[in-house]
Amino acid sequence: MKRSLVIGVIGLLVVSIGLVCWAGGSLRSTFAWPTYADPAVGSDYSSSSTLVNLYDSLVYPTLEGSVKPDVAESWDASPDGLTWTFYLRSGVKFHDGTELTAEDVAFSMDRLTTIGEGYGYLFIGRVASTEAVDKYTVRFHMAETFGPFLTNLVRLYILNKDLVMANLEDGPYDDFGDYGKKYLLTHDAGSGAYTIKEFPLEEYVLMEKYPDYWGEIDPDAPDEVKFIATTEAMTVRTLMANKELEISDQWQTAEGFATLDRMEGVDIARFYMGGVFFYMIHTKRVPTDCIHFRKAMAWAVDYETAAALDESHPAHGPVSVDFPGWNPDVFTYHQDLDKACQELALSKYATSDVLDCIEVCCGDDGCTTAQERICYRECWDKIGLEVDVHWCAEVPTEEKVALLFQANMAEIGIKVNVIRTPWMTMIDEMADMEASPNIETIYVAPHYPEAGSMLESRYHSDSAATWEQNEWLLDWIFDAAIKDAIATVDIETRFAKYRDLQDYIVALCPSIYLNDQLERHAYQSYIDWPAAKGNVIKVMGYNMDARFIKVLPH
Amino acid sequence: MERSAHATFWSRKLEGFGRGWYKFSRNPLSIIGLIAVLLVSFLATFAPFVAPYPKHAGVFVNFAEASQPPSLRHLFGTDVVGRDILSRIFFGFRFSLMLGVVVLTLVVPPGVILGLTAGYFKGTWIDTVIMRITDIFVAVPPLILALAICSVLSPNIFHAMIAVSLMWWPWYTRLVYGLSSSLRNEFFVQAAEVTGASRLHILFKEILPNCLSPIFTKMSLDMGWVILIGASLSFVGLGVQPPKPGLGTMVADGRIYMPDQWWITVFPAFAIMLVVLGFNLLGDGLRDLFAVEEV
Repeated sequence: MKRSLVIGVIGLLVVSIGLVCWAGGSLRSTFAWPTYADPAVGSDYSSSSTLVNLYDSLVYPTLEGSVKPDVAESWDASPDGLTWTFYLRSGVKFHDGTELTAEDVAFSMDRLTTIGEGYGYLFIGRVASTEAVDKYTVRFHMAETFGPFLTNLVRLYILNKDLVMANLEDGPYDDFGDYGKKYLLTHDAGSGAYTIKEFPLEEYVLMEKYPDYWGEIDPDAPDEVKFIATTEAMTVRTLMANKELEISDQWQTAEGFATLDRMEGVDIARFYMGGVFFYMIHTKRVPTDCIHFRKAMAWAVDYETAAALDESHPAHGPVSVDFPGWNPDVFTYHQDLDKACQELALSKYATSDVLDCIEVCCGDDGCTTAQERICYRECWDKIGLEVDVHWCAEVPTEEKVALLFQANMAEIGIKVNVIRTPWMTMIDEMADMEASPNIETIYVAPHYPEAGSMLESRYHSDSAATWEQNEWLLDWIFDAAIKDAIATVDIETRFAKYRDLQDYIVALCPSIYLNDQLERHAYQSYIDWPAAKGNVIKVMGYNMDARFIKVLPH
Repeated sequence: MERSAHATFWSRKLEGFGRGWYKFSRNPLSIIGLIAVLLVSFLATFAPFVAPYPKHAGVFVNFAEASQPPSLRHLFGTDVVGRDILSRIFFGFRFSLMLGVVVLTLVVPPGVILGLTAGYFKGTWIDTVIMRITDIFVAVPPLILALAICSVLSPNIFHAMIAVSLMWWPWYTRLVYGLSSSLRNEFFVQAAEVTGASRLHILFKEILPNCLSPIFTKMSLDMGWVILIGASLSFVGLGVQPPKPGLGTMVADGRIYMPDQWWITVFPAFAIMLVVLGFNLLGDGLRDLFAVEEV
């Protein structure tokens, strides 16, 4: 009896110690840097995932693609759609304990549109002014009607005005100095479920649970969330094997995910978020400035193989398949080398010398034999046209696709230089039209669940010189049309306009649409992750909202 | 009479070669180095004929055969886009040797001439100018300088050659400077000066021949180092560009697939080791060959 009691006590102690060790748990995930925790600066994957955890917004995206109340309990719009009034809930506390009010919302919108970076483009020119009617009522006066305004508000992260104003430094924004940009580089001023604990740049961002959070938070949600700045394959595998990483980044290779899948207690989550893998073609640089040259490339690509490398399906235009507003009838290229050669012959670079040379090589029947193909390629080699393709060094799968592209282009006589480029360098070179290469290979996800998001962020002139557009399309007809579409309040009419715009863009062939992006993440089986179970919110970053991710005892 | 003199000349040559070979071959490691260098040179020269899949060294992908482990069909396996690694290594030797040969061809003549001149004119302003410039180049870590140059210029094998050449010449200048400054006081040099020989004659006919042994030894040892630096540049993406098969590039491409697909990285890494070790062992042998033995 006495012995059993001792064993029982020891057993209880062991279980208690285990639970104490596990208590709360950590959620650690790897990301491609940079991470910007400033809501007026960050807009990429890691930044969006961080912002979702640090800040609240007026509304929250739903699984169905609409929004539900968040900081705003309710709202109404004027009949003409030019005035939106939001009624805030009381008792929402910032991380310093002060209460979130309408003043803070107005300040956040003003700051976002004034700085003009990150998600600022969603509201610039559309929101004329923001008015704090009373402590819990905020009103937006629109410069024009704006169809997806409500869904876009998931990107208005609310800052603590007093905290930001107390941390201003010298800068270009007159009375607002630097608008708190330096402070917000490594601090937060939010009211989200998590707050920044440590933020050594280029290493990681460590967030801890905010105990006075007002909203819903799962009892098993992690106490700490750490986003680690690496996608390096061996590091990710080692961390995963040692249970020092709960969710991997999505940038591992197919072979890498297969290896991770074989680890005990590791599963792979697969879901579509509306992202598309683009070959962004510079339309102002030789030789890709010629539409026939671009079309020739588009006809020559082996889409099926490229998609298979990503375990995905070929893309159908610039908008992901089945995404709200996608055009199922949009023209889609497939590999056809004859058509590619025909388009190339129409290009302005097909000089009479080249055409004569091809005529001599292949005659009127086209280049059918291997010998004729070699001769054909030599004809193009004589004029020395080269296309530079910069693939992202942090995403090894892109190299395989780049080498496939190089081989495909060689079939029609186009010489391709495949250049491994770090992500930060890609961002830098895309900021300058002269420095941008012929092609940048980039995955782009929509910022809100509508085709208009992708169309605007990819092709509007305002996004030229950002990482989301290497095309330098600068097409005022498109700019006006997408502006008109987004201003359309009626959803059916708006989506019809989106579909027309997809036809318009594809006809210009400014990009090669390789495949829809299948997001893959390795995750530990002791993580209960809604996205892995198919509950995917198709707004970048929201699937990493840690308050809904359970870290189970392990 | 003439025929007899001719025979004597060749018999002396043969005798000298025999003595040299005896000294060289006393160290079995030197023989191993020589064999490795000859083997690598042969494979590089005749790569299009001896490589099982010569097309795989160029623009080629075959995903149906991607990531195949070593087998009879592909002795060293295939990489992630289905290219035969053995074939690419043979062609990779070409770039490595080409880099070494071109760099040494570019750096040895100017390095030696500057060293000869500075050493002969030791103590004058010529010595000061040449050797201080040399010191500046020597002060910068070689790989860092090469990385900086390759980063500024567009990354390719040609620019890698320029970068490595720019940082390598000072070592020959310093080597020859030491030799030249001591030889200038030898009797045979002073005798030449007294007889009115020109400075060019003294530099290139009297001093230079006596510096050749250490220069050749250093060249052999440097081949390995230059190839290693070239592989390092390729490893970080600043040397040989895809689809060309640089050995460093191949190692870099395969490292993320370790350890499951070890053959993508391990075989190119062994190839680098073979070529570098071969030249180093050969260099050691040459040093022994030229060394003056104490009685």
